[in-house]
Amino acid sequence: MESVIELQHVYKAFKGFELKDLSISVKKGFVTGFIGGNGAGKSTTIKLIMNLLQPDSGTISIFGMDLKKNEKEIKQRIGFVFDSNIFYENITLTEMKEIIKPAYRKWDDSLFDQYVDMFELPLKKNLKTFSKGMKMKASLTIALSHHAELIIMDEPTSGLDPIFRSELLDILRNLIQNGERTIFFSTHITTDLDRIADYITFIHNGQHIFTKEYYKIEEEFAIVKGGPNLLDRDTEQEFIGIRKTNHGFRALTANKQRIENIFGDTVIIEKPTLEDIMLYTKKGEERDARSYS
Amino acid sequence: MLDLIRKDMILQKKTLPFMLLFLFIYLFVNVSTSWVAIVFCIVIIMNAFETDETSSANLLLNSLPYTRKEIVSSKYIGALFFIFLTLLPIFIGNWMIHGEIMHWKVLLFITSIVMGFISFAFPFSYLFKSKYLLIGSGAVFVIYMVTLRFIPDLNDRVREVVQTVLSLDNSLFYFTIILSVALLYVLSWILSIRIYSRKVF
Repeated sequence: MESVIELQHVYKAFKGFELKDLSISVKKGFVTGFIGGNGAGKSTTIKLIMNLLQPDSGTISIFGMDLKKNEKEIKQRIGFVFDSNIFYENITLTEMKEIIKPAYRKWDDSLFDQYVDMFELPLKKNLKTFSKGMKMKASLTIALSHHAELIIMDEPTSGLDPIFRSELLDILRNLIQNGERTIFFSTHITTDLDRIADYITFIHNGQHIFTKEYYKIEEEFAIVKGGPNLLDRDTEQEFIGIRKTNHGFRALTANKQRIENIFGDTVIIEKPTLEDIMLYTKKGEERDARSYS
Repeated sequence: MLDLIRKDMILQKKTLPFMLLFLFIYLFVNVSTSWVAIVFCIVIIMNAFETDETSSANLLLNSLPYTRKEIVSSKYIGALFFIFLTLLPIFIGNWMIHGEIMHWKVLLFITSIVMGFISFAFPFSYLFKSKYLLIGSGAVFVIYMVTLRFIPDLNDRVREVVQTVLSLDNSLFYFTIILSVALLYVLSWILSIRIYSRKVF
């Protein structure tokens, strides 16, 4: 299957934070949800993809082209939305359009008008009077008005009310109907992804944990509940992360089948949510850190 | 790239008419034309620069299909354009109000001073921030005073150099000025591109 975004062995170090050997590929024609806790490296990765940061080593290619050498050509085909407002504040949406429009060869005024109508955005008001939701809608309008093949969004749903979040997800789903468009977006509201994501890419502490088809996550991962007597040094190794209480434990496994074989009926096995996966991965890491120290 | 200069115009659309109004008032009260022109050019150019200094503006411009080279270059070409935009009404105003046509030497003088200033201000602002320009010039002054301690006749030497240049044959003198300002501007341009390419947003 064709990849639209391909990161290979990317390293990027800052003071107190680093992305380590990050290799990610984003499949064409699908929605990939990009998850990870605060400070996991989501925004840094997106900035690397947008060439706002350069990697210390490793390569990034988009649409099969090297990002460094074909920056302009690649960006012509990308629509972007950031979590903060990046528009000039003292001008109107019409003026903002006038600024951005000449940058894109495929800009489509009728498409722009269509989204402005749909989102009920005022064209003649200063952008600084827009609410957070309106700013997000304005961002989205601009991102969608030049027939972008790849849409990259950094936390687009944060700070939005549930109604608009739901509308946004519908719009995104409609966008990828023809299979030519790809959407890559980061979020920490994981319930958004239930409705829309085909793939999930999970990073933690600057490291790529997995990229999987959404349905496979439910097949492979499981939340396991059982009595405290089931846990010992060996069985603990079967889990990614464990949470112990007085009455028993709750743990995450990445190999549901194996747990069923080992524990049989002595444990209860449940479907994990993405939040569970994020939470237990963090717990497991803390445990490993303790056992090493 | 011209789109980026157009963008600066759109962003300054509201302040420019006011600036024009002030310009005419200044012309009426008969302050030195060159002085007014230099101040206005620098204010307009630095104002355009400052608007794009926020991290959100950098995020926007760098996410659009522009290279960093183009973003910096648009500022340098735009600055020349803004000089022209300021000198034109001053030229016309002077002619209408005082009935005199400005000498081309005055225009050359203004342009050289402004370009010289920009040549230092832009790379400095890309490296730090334009708001530190004042502090920066303070530091330069201190360095100058310290140098004066080691080379007590520095002022005389500078005066000497200026005298030599001035005593040059007229056309050669102007040629030297134009060439050195242009060279300075181009070097500053290249330096700014290098600084900006390494920035992190």
